[in-house]
Amino acid sequence: MADTLSADFVVVGSGIIGSLVARKLALAGASVIILEAGPRVTRAELVARFRNSTRRSDWMSPYPSVEWAPHPIYQPEPNHHIVQAGPYPYAAEYIRQVGGTTWHWAAHAWRNVPNDFRIKSLYDVGVDWPFGYDDLEPFYQEAEELMGVSGADNTGSPRSQPFPMEPVAEPYAMRRLRERLASDYPVVSNTTARNSRVYDGRPACCGNNSCQPICPIDAQYHGGLSADAAEAAGAQLIPNANVYMLEHDEQGRIAAALYYDPDKASHRVTGKTFIVAANGIESPRLLLLSKSDKFPGGLANSSDMVGRNLMDHPSTSLTFDADEDVWLGRGPQSPSSINTMRDGAFRSEHSPYRLDFTNISRVDGATRSLIAAGVYGSELEKRLRYSAAREMNVKNVLEVLPDPERRITLSSETDSMGIPKPQAHYSIDDYTRKGHERSQQDFRRIAELMGGTNLRFSKEGEFANNQHICGTLSMGNDPKTSVCDQWGRAHDHENLFLAGTAVLPTSSTCNSTENGLAVALRSVAHILGQDGAAARGAATGEARA
Amino acid sequence: MKTDLTLFSRGADAADRPDANRRLLLFGLVSAYTASLVPWAMAQEATDADHGAFLAVSAILVGRQSLDAAHAGRLYAALSADDPEFPAAAKALLELIESRRIDPMQLQQILDDEQSPLKLVPWRIVTAWYMGIVGDGAKARCLAFETALNAEAVSDVLRPPTYAYGAYGSWTRKPT
Repeated sequence: MADTLSADFVVVGSGIIGSLVARKLALAGASVIILEAGPRVTRAELVARFRNSTRRSDWMSPYPSVEWAPHPIYQPEPNHHIVQAGPYPYAAEYIRQVGGTTWHWAAHAWRNVPNDFRIKSLYDVGVDWPFGYDDLEPFYQEAEELMGVSGADNTGSPRSQPFPMEPVAEPYAMRRLRERLASDYPVVSNTTARNSRVYDGRPACCGNNSCQPICPIDAQYHGGLSADAAEAAGAQLIPNANVYMLEHDEQGRIAAALYYDPDKASHRVTGKTFIVAANGIESPRLLLLSKSDKFPGGLANSSDMVGRNLMDHPSTSLTFDADEDVWLGRGPQSPSSINTMRDGAFRSEHSPYRLDFTNISRVDGATRSLIAAGVYGSELEKRLRYSAAREMNVKNVLEVLPDPERRITLSSETDSMGIPKPQAHYSIDDYTRKGHERSQQDFRRIAELMGGTNLRFSKEGEFANNQHICGTLSMGNDPKTSVCDQWGRAHDHENLFLAGTAVLPTSSTCNSTENGLAVALRSVAHILGQDGAAARGAATGEARA
Repeated sequence: MKTDLTLFSRGADAADRPDANRRLLLFGLVSAYTASLVPWAMAQEATDADHGAFLAVSAILVGRQSLDAAHAGRLYAALSADDPEFPAAAKALLELIESRRIDPMQLQQILDDEQSPLKLVPWRIVTAWYMGIVGDGAKARCLAFETALNAEAVSDVLRPPTYAYGAYGSWTRKPT
């Protein structure tokens, strides 16, 4: 029975982008099948897993890897799903389950600033996007209305319409930062997919302070809601369907997606148009796996660009003790930023960055540190309260430039399904490193203005990863240097579209989800405008057979 | 310092905390030095001396004058399940603290310097009480979250993650 599955559109990946693409296509009348490698998991299960976790600071702990669709796990023992080829380890995290990785994001929903689209022209670094801010602006708005984004206008990204919601109420600790840093820095509210009022049937935030790894009340948008919306619009979502190969016909059009179920039985799904939206690592992995005599390097890869230009946002940070009690952990986790270094002439020399303040409770981390330091007896509670009240943290979010040598390839090692693992070739270059160095003066000044003591800089040479995987299926006008065109259509295959953060040509300084979603919604508008009538006709034809 | 059957309450604020009525009120029968650290110490009737020692050394290490009896039983069982030698080790640790009059803040350094076989025992006990976690790595398990002592220690200001802080915007106020 499974072998008869067919649809106008077959979407690989049920994350926030794959699902909202599927939803939009289904609402237009097309038949849509979404193939998701991982299982369905409910919000209640995830909350319970978090509360029972032994690693509450490990955002992946409620999201264990499953054997039939493994994803990277680093604690308590690494599962080595991503093979590291160096020189710098790329410890990417993502979730293979219905709804994807935004189950555990901080819900930052930033737009680029306009100059992010033209860094080659303006600063002679990276590449220009194949379109500009104005072209994407309506789709940013569409994305923000779908997710329910709250924000303020003072973030450097112009708008034609207001935010769907006002910014979420400012935690006291962030107010103190804003007030005490005002002489030197404007501290602004983050643009987030978090409700400041009832929106789309979901409640306002009530400060559970577990945005990562799970908002227990859906005040924060996530891909599980996108998947629900896709199904409500009529898309058929098949979980536990690990796509390992795309087949093509003699003309080079994609003909079918092959997937393994958890028993490793293979199933075939045919369609008119295929959309790969399986994240910045699994999407290029699938294209590279889909080798044939006609396409020995994999699909969409005549340019040898699939998997290249891997980018993310590395961070370094400073933790310090303020000279007043601020008690991080009241309200949402990630409320405020400084945006002044996101753009400027300096981008020809070093990475731009956003400065990001955490409001994550310090209690668990401080407890572990104090116990590790042998602080016992009544002193333990006393010092814990001090740390929980006084500790603050600021990190930079640094741009990584596209570099073909940073890339995802296939490893000779295989995963638990016998499928070659992804292999990461990653590095931190001087451009990014200089951005880190420049930010240290901001770190020191911020600590000074907060009366900071006990300054603890992150270890020199170590960069934390932000899991904003992008670039590996970059879009561009030149088929020799990009994988897909500005609409996400693979240069090599007429009916293969790519969606997700992988298509972003540069990483800029903001979390990649809203950019990826807006670009994907723009692609769907193009698909429907160009192919919509055919798709609607097909919806009642053989595709339903 | 009294060493016998001295009973302590936690003060008015304790009544607002979870399990206030279920607090184990320990009775003491230990040496003068330990009693100075835990003036109420030792388990009632002490039918199981090892368990009593665990309670006493727990109280010293976490700096608490009362501990939840049922939870203490769960932690003790879990720690003992991981290591059959744990009951004896906890008792040996108590005896060491007593005999050498070791300040809790100096304890770990002394155990480390002397490469004591007991050097992991305080860490295990305090992690169990403060984090609610027993065991290491893949064998670790969670026995408490919102009632772990690190959550209780700040419960006048913070809620454990996933628990609502309050109505929308309540977090804008200065914490008191």
